[in-house]
Amino acid sequence: MDTLLLARLQFATTAGIHFLFVVVTLGLVTLLVGLQTAWVITGKQKYERLTRFWGQLYVINYVLGIATGIVMEFQFGLNWSGVSRYVGNVFGAPLAIETLVAFFLESTFLGMWIFGWHRLRRGVHLALLWGVALTAYASAFWILVANSWLQNPVGYEVRDGVAHLTDFGALLTNPTFGMAFGHVVAASLLVGGMLMAAVSAYHLIRRTPDYALHRTSLRIGLVTSALAITLVQGFGFAQFGPVGAVQPTKFGAGDDAQATIAEWTAQFGPGDYTPPVLASVGLGFMILIGLTLGTLWLLLPLLFRDWIIRLRVPLWLILLAVPLPLVAVILGWLAREVGRQPWVAYGLLPVDQAVSPVGAPVMLVSLIGFSLLLGTLAVTNWVLMARHAVRGAHDPALGRPPGPSADVPTEPAFV
Amino acid sequence: MELAWYALLGLFFASYLVLAGYDYGVGLSLAGNADPGRRRAALNAVGPFFLGNEVWLVAAVGILFGAFPVLEGELLSGFYPIVLGALAGVILVTAGVQLRSRPAHERVRARWDRVVVVGSTLAALGWGALLAGLLQGVPRHADGHIAGLTHLLTPFVAAAALATVALVAVHGATFLTLRLPAADAAGAGRLARRLVPVAIAAVGAATVVGLLSARVRETAQRPALGVLLPVALVAALLVARVALARRRPGVAFAATGAALALPVVLVGATLWPYALVSTVDSGASLTVADAAASGPTLRLLGWLALPLVPALLGFQLMCWWVFRGRTDGRAPVYW
Ligand code: HDD
Ligand code: HEM
Ligand code: HEM
Repeated sequence: MDTLLLARLQFATTAGIHFLFVVVTLGLVTLLVGLQTAWVITGKQKYERLTRFWGQLYVINYVLGIATGIVMEFQFGLNWSGVSRYVGNVFGAPLAIETLVAFFLESTFLGMWIFGWHRLRRGVHLALLWGVALTAYASAFWILVANSWLQNPVGYEVRDGVAHLTDFGALLTNPTFGMAFGHVVAASLLVGGMLMAAVSAYHLIRRTPDYALHRTSLRIGLVTSALAITLVQGFGFAQFGPVGAVQPTKFGAGDDAQATIAEWTAQFGPGDYTPPVLASVGLGFMILIGLTLGTLWLLLPLLFRDWIIRLRVPLWLILLAVPLPLVAVILGWLAREVGRQPWVAYGLLPVDQAVSPVGAPVMLVSLIGFSLLLGTLAVTNWVLMARHAVRGAHDPALGRPPGPSADVPTEPAFV
Repeated sequence: MELAWYALLGLFFASYLVLAGYDYGVGLSLAGNADPGRRRAALNAVGPFFLGNEVWLVAAVGILFGAFPVLEGELLSGFYPIVLGALAGVILVTAGVQLRSRPAHERVRARWDRVVVVGSTLAALGWGALLAGLLQGVPRHADGHIAGLTHLLTPFVAAAALATVALVAVHGATFLTLRLPAADAAGAGRLARRLVPVAIAAVGAATVVGLLSARVRETAQRPALGVLLPVALVAALLVARVALARRRPGVAFAATGAALALPVVLVGATLWPYALVSTVDSGASLTVADAAASGPTLRLLGWLALPLVPALLGFQLMCWWVFRGRTDGRAPVYW
C-alpha cells in the first residue's frame, strides 16, 4: 500500500468520525440555548430539567468531538506536510483564526458552564452557554472557509512555487462557501432535532413517568427537524450552481469538464482527472435520504391533540429514522471531498505532491492505531450516550445540586 | 514580526505544558491512589479548568500552522512517532477524565482511571521527547525534508522524556496540595515533596546524557543558555521543595509551573535564530524567519491577534477567578 492512499484513508476516517460528533454538537447546542433561555425567562422547572438532561447528552457527545478534532488538526502536519509547504500561507490563516476565535473560547466557556451550576448567577451561566454556541458556529464557519478554499482556491498568487495570500476577503466570498455553510448548519439542526425527537419518542413508547417532559421535547425536536430539512434541501440544491461553475469535473463530464481536463493535462501532464464514482454515488444517496426526510412535515399535523403519541406508529418511525441524517452527512462529505480528486487544492495542488515523505509502514501504524483508538472511543461514547438517554431525566449528573447523591456512594471529600 | 509570532507560539505551548501539565500530573497521581473517593476528588480538583487547559495545545498548533506553515509540516512529520505517542496520550486523557464518571460502577471507573494514567504518561513522555529532539537537531537535507525516523532513538530523548514525566508528576501533586480541601492537601504535599528529589535526579541524568552527546553540543547555538536550563530547573524544584515544607503551596505551584515553562523558552532561545537545526547539512537548517508565513498572512493574523489574545487571556483568568480556592462540598462534582 502506498503512503498516499493510507494518508487519504486516515483523513477520511478521522474526518468522518469527527463530523459524526460535531454535527450532533452543533445541533444540540442550538436547542440547548433555546431550552436554557426558556428556563431563565419563564423560570419553569420543566425547562431546567430538559436543559440538564440534554446538556448531559451534549457534554458526553462533546468528548469525542475534541478527541477527534485534535487528531484532525495534527494530521495536516503529520500526513500532509505538502499542504503546509505549498499552500499553508493561505490555507493556514482560516485554520489559525478558527483555533483562536472559536475553539479556545468554546472549551473555556464549556468548562465553566459544566461546573458553574449552583455557583454562578443564572444570567452569567446562560451567557456562557450562548458563548459556547456562538463559538461553535464560528468554528464551523472558519473550518468551512478553509475547506472551501481547498475546493476552490481564491485570493492568492503563486510566487516561487508557493501560494501567497493576496485577498483575504475573497476567501469569505468563495462561491463554494456560502451555501455549503448554510447546508452544514441546517444538517446539524436536522441531526440535533431528530435525535431529540427520537429519544423522547423512545420514552413515550416505553411510557416512562416523565410524560409531560418528553412530550415537550418531542414537539421541539420534531418542529426543528421539519424546518431544518427544508433548509437542508434548499441549501443543498442551491449548491449545484456555484460549485458546478468552479468545479467542472465534480458533477459530471460535460464540455466544461473536458476543457478543464485538457487544460490540466497541458499544465500538469497527463493523468486521471476525473473523480472516482464514489463521489456521485454518495451524492445520489444523500439526496435520496434528503427527499425521504421531507416527509417529516407529514408528522406535524399529528401534533394536534397528541395524535402522534396516541398512534404510536409515528413514534417508532421517528426512532428508526435517526441513523438516516447521520448517514447522509457522511455521504455528503464523500461527495464533496472525493469529488475534488485528485486535488488537495482544486486545480492547484495534486494530492500526491501534498502527502508527507513518511514511509508507508509508519503511516499504516498511524492509520490502524488511530482508527482503532477513535473507533473504540466512538462506540464507547455512543453506548454511554444511549445509556444516559435511556436512563431518562430524573437525575442527570450535570447540574446536580452539591451534596450526597445516589451516584457517588463513597465520597469522603465531598459528603 | 517573526520574533513576535515565535514568542506567541512559545507562550501558548509553554502555557499548555504548565496548565495541562498539572492535568497529567493529577492523572499520574491516580496510579498510586486506591481510594475511589479520593481519585474522584483529585480529578474534580482539576474540574472546571480541564477543558480550558488542553485547548492551549489546539491554539498552539493553530498558530504553528497559520504563522509557521513550513515548520508545522517539517516538525510534525519529522517527529512522526513522537507526535503520534503524545497525541494518543492527549486523547486518552481527554476521553478518560470526561467519561470515567459516566458509568456508575466503581470497577469501570477504575478501568477508566487506568486509561487516564496511561494517557498522562504518554503525553508527558511525548512532549518531553519533542523538546529534546529539537535540542539534538534533525537530519534535514537540502531538499527541505527530514529523512528517516531513527534519528529520534537516542539516550538523550529517552532521558529527557522521563525527566518530563517526573516534572509533571511533581507539578500535579503540587497542584493538588494547592487545591484539595485542607484536610486532604497534606497527603498530596507529602507526595509532592517525595517526588522532588526524583525529578532532580531525572533532570540531572538528562543533563549528563545531553552534555555527552555530540549532536546536542553541536546543535546548541547558544550553549550557555542550554546549560542554564538544567540549572534553572533544579533551582525551581528546590524552591518548590522549600515552599512545600513551609506550607506555601502557591509559591511551590509557581515554581513547578516555571519548571515546565522554562524548557520551552530555553530550547527556543538555545536554537535561535534557527527553529530546526540540521545535523547533516548546516545549510539546510531552518531559520525562524524562513519558517514563517509570508508578510500578508502574518499581518492579517497580527491584526486579529492584537485584540484577541487579551480577550482569550481575560476569559481564562475569569475561569481561574470564578473557581479559585480549595474545592469543597459546595462545588458540583462532574468528572
Ligand atoms: C443531514 C444531512 C444531509 C442531507 C439530508 C442532505 N445533505 Fe447534502 N450534504 C450534507 C448533508 C446533507 C453535508 C454533510 O453537510 C455536506 C458535505 C459538505 C457540505 O457542504 O455539506 C453535503 C454536501 C452536499 C453537496 C456537495 C457540495 C460540494 O460538492 O461541494 C451537494 C450538491 C448537496 N449536499 C446537495 C444536497 C441535496 C440536493 C439534498 C437533498 C435534497 C441534500 N444535499 C441532503
Ligand atoms: C468533517 C467533515 C469532513 C469529511 C467527512 C471529509 C472527508 C474527507 C475524505 C473522504 C477525504 C479523502 C478523499 C479521498 O482522497 O478519497 C478527505 C480528504 C481530505 N480532506 Fe476532508 N473531509 C471533511 C472536512 C474537511 C475539512 C473541513 C477540511 C479542511 C479544513 C478537509 C481537508 C481534507 C484534506 C487536506 C484531505 C486530504 C487530501 C485528499 O485526499 O483530498 N476535510 N476528506
Ligand atoms: C466541516 C467540518 C468541521 C466542523 C463543522 C467542525 C466543527 C467542530 C466543532 C463544533 C467542534 C467543537 C467540539 C465538538 O463540538 O464536539 C470541533 C472540535 C474540533 N475540531 Fe472540528 N470541525 C470540522 C472539521 C475539522 C477539521 C478539518 C479540523 C482540523 C483542522 C478540525 C479540528 C478540530 C479540533 C482541533 C477540535 C477540538 C477543539 C477543542 O479542543 O475544543 N475540525 N470541530
